[in-house]
Amino acid sequence: MEAAVVLSNVTKKYRIVHDKNPSLKETIIHLRRTTHEDFLALDNVSFKVQKGETFGIIGPNGSGKSTALKLLSRIMLPTSGKIEINGTVSALLELGAGFHPDLTGKENIYLNAAILGLDSRFVAERFDEIVGFAELEKFIDMPVKNYSSGMYVRLGFAIAVNVNPDILLVDEVLTVGDQAFQAKCLTRIYDFMRSRKTIIIVSHDLDMISNICNRALFLYQGKKIKEAAAAEAVREYRSFIEEMELEKELAASGAVQASQILQSAERFGSGEAEIFDVHLEDMNGSSSTHFRSGDDAAIVLKVKFHKDVDDPIFGIRITNELNINTYGTNTYIKGKRTGKFKKNEEREIIFRQPLSLIKGKYFITAAVSHRDGKRYYDWRTNIAEFTVVDEESSEGVANLNSEIVIK
Amino acid sequence: MISKFRELFKYRNLLINLTKKELKVKYRGSILGFFWSLLNPILMTLVYSFVFSVVMRTGIKEFAVFLISALLPWNFLANSINLGVGSVVGNSALVKKIYFPREILPLSIIFSNFVNFMLELVALLIFLAVMRYPFYKILYYLPLVIIVQIFLVVGMTLIVSSLNVVFRDIQHLVTIFMLVWFFGTPIIYPISMVPKNFQILFIANPMSVITIFYRNMFYSVKFPELMLFPSLRSILVAVAVSILIFFAGYFLFKRLEPRFAEEI
Repeated sequence: MEAAVVLSNVTKKYRIVHDKNPSLKETIIHLRRTTHEDFLALDNVSFKVQKGETFGIIGPNGSGKSTALKLLSRIMLPTSGKIEINGTVSALLELGAGFHPDLTGKENIYLNAAILGLDSRFVAERFDEIVGFAELEKFIDMPVKNYSSGMYVRLGFAIAVNVNPDILLVDEVLTVGDQAFQAKCLTRIYDFMRSRKTIIIVSHDLDMISNICNRALFLYQGKKIKEAAAAEAVREYRSFIEEMELEKELAASGAVQASQILQSAERFGSGEAEIFDVHLEDMNGSSSTHFRSGDDAAIVLKVKFHKDVDDPIFGIRITNELNINTYGTNTYIKGKRTGKFKKNEEREIIFRQPLSLIKGKYFITAAVSHRDGKRYYDWRTNIAEFTVVDEESSEGVANLNSEIVIK
Repeated sequence: MISKFRELFKYRNLLINLTKKELKVKYRGSILGFFWSLLNPILMTLVYSFVFSVVMRTGIKEFAVFLISALLPWNFLANSINLGVGSVVGNSALVKKIYFPREILPLSIIFSNFVNFMLELVALLIFLAVMRYPFYKILYYLPLVIIVQIFLVVGMTLIVSSLNVVFRDIQHLVTIFMLVWFFGTPIIYPISMVPKNFQILFIANPMSVITIFYRNMFYSVKFPELMLFPSLRSILVAVAVSILIFFAGYFLFKRLEPRFAEEI
């Protein structure tokens, strides 16, 4: 496979000048710029993105994600190292970049399109489509300074979706706007993926990254921590963050730690609650690992609490052998309040459902988290497995059990 | 360098659109619109004419035409530089978020001023025709003079706009510099008024030679005795200096360009 983007030992140093923009006088008098510090935004980072891949870049704020995108889009040059890019690049780093408030929506469409590198004739052909997509038919001859921020972003996006480079760079932009808007953005990204284009996405939305990306890069303080399959990189990131929070808490409280949980990519959490067993039961309540497709099954989480916990969230995820997420749910999604749990209490949480899956082997990941859904008490990847048997060999993941009628 | 020019050509659509934006934004919301760009030099000419023909009585024939034939080209230069100096700094949102050859920003300012200049020249020629000036006599110099002037304007604007990113003092210096340059160019006075031993200083300024040519074309054609062509040597120097400034500006701009996104 051919590489779309190759970064080799790329370092980007920012100079933090203590007095920004020194005057000519100072420069002449001191013959040097004012004192400065160097800040390593990227520290000897190498990674490779193959053509047709959807590649995620994750990491906490200040880890160098945006710098990486700016280097890829040539807005900045690296301090050292080599960047190789095969193909045309468009960067969606900001929607509506260069909109002029005094110009009308129509005029701004042409201007912004030109900024994104689109041809005016091409835009003229697509003009109605763009306006329709942005739902701004009535306002298109109005100066954009009179637009609401929602209208502004919609127009920016309607123009931006028309870019058609070989390599698309996407920054956090997609996480703005309401759900309908985000869905539109994702649809466009899927279109891109289907046409086998290369996409590089920077996002804090880890679920999105693990769902749509093939691979991902995890950056921390300018250094590459991991470049791996997206789900794996995300897991690594989650456990990394968990560990950091833990350390912070420890440092803050100085108290003895509740957790005896060993931190790894497979298992992490702060330990207020511990999932010590997960198994499946059939309709008769007996433990089992083999089910017929469509059979009712109960997934039982046995949880021990090491602290008093209020209204935690319990969740499961079922993945198949290809590590595709086939189903996931939790008590929060289901709108179920879980109530109070006391220290040293042992409880069972039971998820009951028909296993409408095609035949094959499946894994269960179980987790319990704080009610904010962000801090995990315990996360256990692939803690249990089961097999679905079926005479049919259907395709896909779900068994919708079609009845076929011929009329 | 050729590949850089080729890339610039690839982005011509952006240049055109930004130029259009400059022109639209400039007159949006004003009732007289483009006529301001005519009205402005006319009003200035009236003021100067009053001062120089009525108050100071310099005795220059038809001072209004004498002045405006030099003032219009000067305005093209001065407006381009004065507005161009902040063109990179003022577009930080674009520079930080989108890649494109950055010289497009000052170039769009120059192009929009050039369009204005051309329209003003058309208006001037119509006016001269009405006033029965034989403006057509040596008009064939016009394209060449304009080309030399464009080299000068582009070079100067690239220099100030890129330096201004690194030293914000430039925008203040430019204001003073342009004032000195204005009076150091034979615009409100003829070069013949300058004492002989100072003339060399004025001729070293390429804008002087350019101005003298414009004035010959539009004004002196009616008064052939005032027709005065600089020596071939000073013409060559003016052309050479203009081209030199162009390349100096281009290389300086390209040299500083990688720092733009970080400095603004």
